[in-house]
Amino acid sequence: MSVSLELRDIVQRYPAPDGSGDVTIVGGISLSLDRPSINMLLGPSGCGKSTLLRMMGGVRPYGMRTPTSGEVLIDGAPCHAEHDDVVMVFQTYSNRPDLTVEQNIALPFKLKLWRDRVSAAERAERIAWAMDRVGLSDRAANLPRQLSGGQNQRVALARALALKPRILLMDEPFGALDAQTRSEMQLLLIKLWEEQQCLVVFVTHDVEEALVLGDRILVLSTRPAALALDLELPDHRPRDELWLRSTRVLNMEKDIRAVLAQRAVPDAVQSAADA
Amino acid sequence: MWNPHEPLPARTSYGLGIGTAVLVGALWSLVAGLDLVSDAKLPAPWEVAEGLWSLAAYNEAKESYMLLEATVASCTRVAISALIAVATAVPLGIAMGASPRINAAVGFLLDPFRSAPIVAVLPIFVMWFGIGETLKVTFLWLGAFVYLVPMTRDAMLTVARRSEVYVSLKDLGATDWEGIRHGVLPLALPSIWDAITVAVSIMWTYITVAEYVNAKTGLGTLIQNAKRFSAMDQVFAGIGVIIILALVTDKTLKLLRARLFAWETA
Repeated sequence: MSVSLELRDIVQRYPAPDGSGDVTIVGGISLSLDRPSINMLLGPSGCGKSTLLRMMGGVRPYGMRTPTSGEVLIDGAPCHAEHDDVVMVFQTYSNRPDLTVEQNIALPFKLKLWRDRVSAAERAERIAWAMDRVGLSDRAANLPRQLSGGQNQRVALARALALKPRILLMDEPFGALDAQTRSEMQLLLIKLWEEQQCLVVFVTHDVEEALVLGDRILVLSTRPAALALDLELPDHRPRDELWLRSTRVLNMEKDIRAVLAQRAVPDAVQSAADA
Repeated sequence: MWNPHEPLPARTSYGLGIGTAVLVGALWSLVAGLDLVSDAKLPAPWEVAEGLWSLAAYNEAKESYMLLEATVASCTRVAISALIAVATAVPLGIAMGASPRINAAVGFLLDPFRSAPIVAVLPIFVMWFGIGETLKVTFLWLGAFVYLVPMTRDAMLTVARRSEVYVSLKDLGATDWEGIRHGVLPLALPSIWDAITVAVSIMWTYITVAEYVNAKTGLGTLIQNAKRFSAMDQVFAGIGVIIILALVTDKTLKLLRARLFAWETA
């Protein structure tokens, strides 16, 4: 499957809260992702990485943002079509509490767009398949509140999977999970990705998560967000402890942490130090 | 004592509630029984019970069971008005919650009515709708409508503001209406149900006013008539019946809520 996602000089500005002109959140990012791979967007919290991810989702009337200037291109075409095969998975699961696991996975097919795209027979097939792939077939009739956080995120993942997206955007999807569950979910994601290759852009602030999952790690600096580091990782999987502790990876980790530390000092502390 | 998280066993809870009721009843009995206040002002509990019995028994002069007849009449009025109120106010509230334009257009006019003296509207309604059943039903409807519309709207807005499902569906290419239909409305239904419950309670408080004008029967009429004959025991009995009916309606709706929206309660 060929797919490309290209950002051309993306700039995002907001009016400053105190009315003193505009604040630049994202300051001219250009980026080209052109093969099915897992791309980690790493940066200190509040640096604008989620904003950037949302802009990759294209024009949406609510919650998603359009860049102030610059372009997002999918397969070379500006991404403002009705839907560009881009699906986002959120940290908060976005499951309907009144629907069962199966109904939650089937929810996108209630939308005209997806009903028209996928035939009824194929829908049923995909739902069963996605549920099986995330290991929730035996929980099909359960409600979200009967599931753990990890299982809820599996539902969200299955919902995205059933749409067979060519580009999957993940906004700190495992951020709310405990360490054990998080590493289980990371393994699951790798397994699913190997079966069903697509272009993944995964936002995280966890350096280790980036090293475990990424084919490519893009480190953003903060205020405004700019691409500070762009690392290609070797095709080595599974990435066990031994690999993570190899000199090469440790050096990468050191570089990443150095970038993250540059502006890790909060503004208030910074200005106090300046004064 | 001052611990809001104190786990209270059902026995203690009911014991305390019934204890207070008994205490108030005893005080009431004492004040009325010792004739500290005249019977015309405060009948004793047993006199109220007698009044209730005389209302419930077959009335030879009227050739009917007055209390039963009145209860059925009032319940019917409340039920019909409630159905009309739900059918009109809920869709409007949903539309207002889903569209700032509709909210702006309708809310400007409607919102002040929440604090308007609805009772004062009665004479106007008499001129518009006459003095028959239409008057009673429309009056009860109005009383509930002015509350139910904004409460339904607010239920929608509360969900819309924090619904991740809505954001996610919009991301998947939902149309505006699909976002509301699948991402907001289902999650707002429990709160809308609560609003309906409150609206029906409000109707019960307005029933006496609604039946003030030319009602042949009804609990409000019963109370009016009793007052005219200074039968305070029957006035108290009538009020008691309304309170019990309102309570039963409320509990029933809450029970139904637990059934219908089992997913909401953890």
